[in-house]
Amino acid sequence: MVGSVPLVWVLTLAAGLFCIGLFGALSRRNIVGMLMGIELMLNSVNINLVAFWRYLQPTGTAGLIFAIFTIAVAAAEVAVGLAMVIAIYRARLTINADEIDTLKG
Amino acid sequence: MNPIAIGVFIVIALLTLGSGIMVVTVRNIIHSALWLIASFIGVAALYLLMEAEFLAVVQILVYAGAVSILVLFAIMLTRQVTGEGVRVVFERWWVALLIALGLFGVIVPTLWKHGATWEEAAKLAQVGPAPVEGAANSLQVATATEIGRSFMGEYLLPFEVVSVLLLMALIGAVVIAYEERTRRRRVLTLAEELALKKRGIVEPRDAEGAVMPREAEGKVILLDSEQA
Amino acid sequence: MADALTQLGFASWLSVLIASIIKVTLILVGGSVGMMFLTWYERRSISYMQDRRGPNRVGPQGLLQPISEAIKTMTKEDATPRDADKIVHFLAPVVMLGATVLSFAVIPWGRMFPVDLNAAVLFVIATGGLHSIGMMMAGWGSNNKFALLGGMRGVAQLISYEIPQVMAIIPVVLMTGSMSLQKIVEAQNDFAGLGWYVFSPVGLLGFALFFTASLAEGERTPFDIPEADSEIIAGYMTEYSGMKFAVFYLSNYMSNLAVCFITATLYLGGGNGPGVDALGGIAGGLLSLIYFLLKSFALFFVMVLIRATVPRLRVDQLMSFAWKFLLPLVLVNILSASFWVALLRWDQQWPKLTEWFGAPSTADATNWGRLAIAIVLTLLINAGAVALIMRLTNRNVQKHLYTTDEELALGLS
Repeated sequence: MVGSVPLVWVLTLAAGLFCIGLFGALSRRNIVGMLMGIELMLNSVNINLVAFWRYLQPTGTAGLIFAIFTIAVAAAEVAVGLAMVIAIYRARLTINADEIDTLKG
Repeated sequence: MNPIAIGVFIVIALLTLGSGIMVVTVRNIIHSALWLIASFIGVAALYLLMEAEFLAVVQILVYAGAVSILVLFAIMLTRQVTGEGVRVVFERWWVALLIALGLFGVIVPTLWKHGATWEEAAKLAQVGPAPVEGAANSLQVATATEIGRSFMGEYLLPFEVVSVLLLMALIGAVVIAYEERTRRRRVLTLAEELALKKRGIVEPRDAEGAVMPREAEGKVILLDSEQA
Repeated sequence: MADALTQLGFASWLSVLIASIIKVTLILVGGSVGMMFLTWYERRSISYMQDRRGPNRVGPQGLLQPISEAIKTMTKEDATPRDADKIVHFLAPVVMLGATVLSFAVIPWGRMFPVDLNAAVLFVIATGGLHSIGMMMAGWGSNNKFALLGGMRGVAQLISYEIPQVMAIIPVVLMTGSMSLQKIVEAQNDFAGLGWYVFSPVGLLGFALFFTASLAEGERTPFDIPEADSEIIAGYMTEYSGMKFAVFYLSNYMSNLAVCFITATLYLGGGNGPGVDALGGIAGGLLSLIYFLLKSFALFFVMVLIRATVPRLRVDQLMSFAWKFLLPLVLVNILSASFWVALLRWDQQWPKLTEWFGAPSTADATNWGRLAIAIVLTLLINAGAVALIMRLTNRNVQKHLYTTDEELALGLS
């Protein structure tokens, strides 16, 4: 892998995934859809971390450990985020972000 | 140059990016979540290709096995009518598209400008130290053992902080999504229902057929409490 | 294998490709033939337990029954409900089978290792977790309320039991110091091939817990709530017929086979046994394969025995069994495994202690003493924990078994 595929290709893949996730997070009306976009962005960051680890510092562990931290934080974020989605749905019977506008001036 | 590695990489890249695009464009939100799983698995395959075996397995275990299932559960618990003609994106979705494309247009040329430098550095990094004086160099890629040692040594404090964070998230999720007991009706078993009927207490039901609590012999029947 | 092909004059990448294709074919054929044998084996043995004979007409002793049934299912009509989500409905069995076949990639056959992955133990669990996606897809895609109920139940069960399953493996990983299945098998080769983990108190409890949790992961009978036929028809498989149903069936039995293989590898020493090392070479390899298959099929017989004796659990019993019974015991087992490792292998864990007391050596006379201390200590911890939790559980059950009239009237039970 390392001898055949340049690092830049992997990084470009990660950048593409990040932009797709960004588009999803910004454009979806559904809160769960937004969360899915954010998950894609976090995954692309992980690809970057692992790629830099494998290509530039394969004997160390910093890249891997940061990726694992990202996974843990993402798991926590999803758990709390989806709990909030369910709570919101129970109170408002909708999970569209533009309909939850009680604080709208 | 290994043609298999390049081919596998291209297939994985197409899988990951293609299913990523499907995640953000598909109308049906459940299909979107299923495409998300495909994307996660593509990323796991990429980790395997980069010899991060432990991380690949964790990716499948946490993302494909748990996070996506959580997302699917959340969608099903907040089910709306996903009929045709319902808007799934904001009116000004093209602004988001412009932002995403613009970001991609900024990142990629920057990356390719530094590509040659990184290539040099990567070549240097692939040469491991010689195990014995005069022996051939061998590269020992870090494995789960080294990760464990780092967690218990260098990164002990962040590790503890993350575990506290996970605990907080666990408790927080339960507290937020918890439906209060008083709003939930306990479903009687057949034996209990028969016993109630025998004693002449037939529980009144509301219009939808749900059991309503009522006064009986001066006591309130708390059919919903499960404190015992 | 790839090296041999390279010597025959193939290009290196081509030989890798050919070797991989051969391996994949062998795994697929081995898995599905094993599954066919398993169905026959289960039906025959459960028949004898229920005082009847079971399939015995097709072929010798009914051995060809699975083949005739495969032909039957293939010729059946493949019906899809009109309002189903066609693509999801079609893909669900594919996902299930794919997840099962993936887990066979790392499972050793005796001493033959298809792929020696560094985190092989976790990989097996992770692929088992992928089953929940297939269940969810089948349940949702069928557009049938029983299918959805079964799918939801199945996913909740799989996620709950994944936790005790993963944590039951931790003692093995601690005692071996590695997550690679090859290293785990090698570590159980002491005492003339009989140093299996199941003979230590930690391993015994771990074996019981892991096997129980795996029964739930594989939806075997006391835990077959997702497809409880008397409650929700066939659960997530309700709307499947013909070949798709056969694929579900295939994946179920293959994952049961995988569970038996993995349990045999982790706790019963895999292909280790007396005489394997003495023979060596190809004969030793064959002997280890025979040992391994014997152990696995003995485990599957235990599964069949449980199916014939234990009735199905209720949903709430299922959940409280995972969270209130298995999980505490698994945690205690990890504790006693750490005592075990600390007493027997402190040189690998704490260099400070080695400086003070010297490294423990196997030739040392005190080694047997330490082994005895470790066995007694872990046995005390584990037996105490099991007794305590059994008692607490029984008390709870007693309390919930009978409901007085007052409690009933107050709705307290």
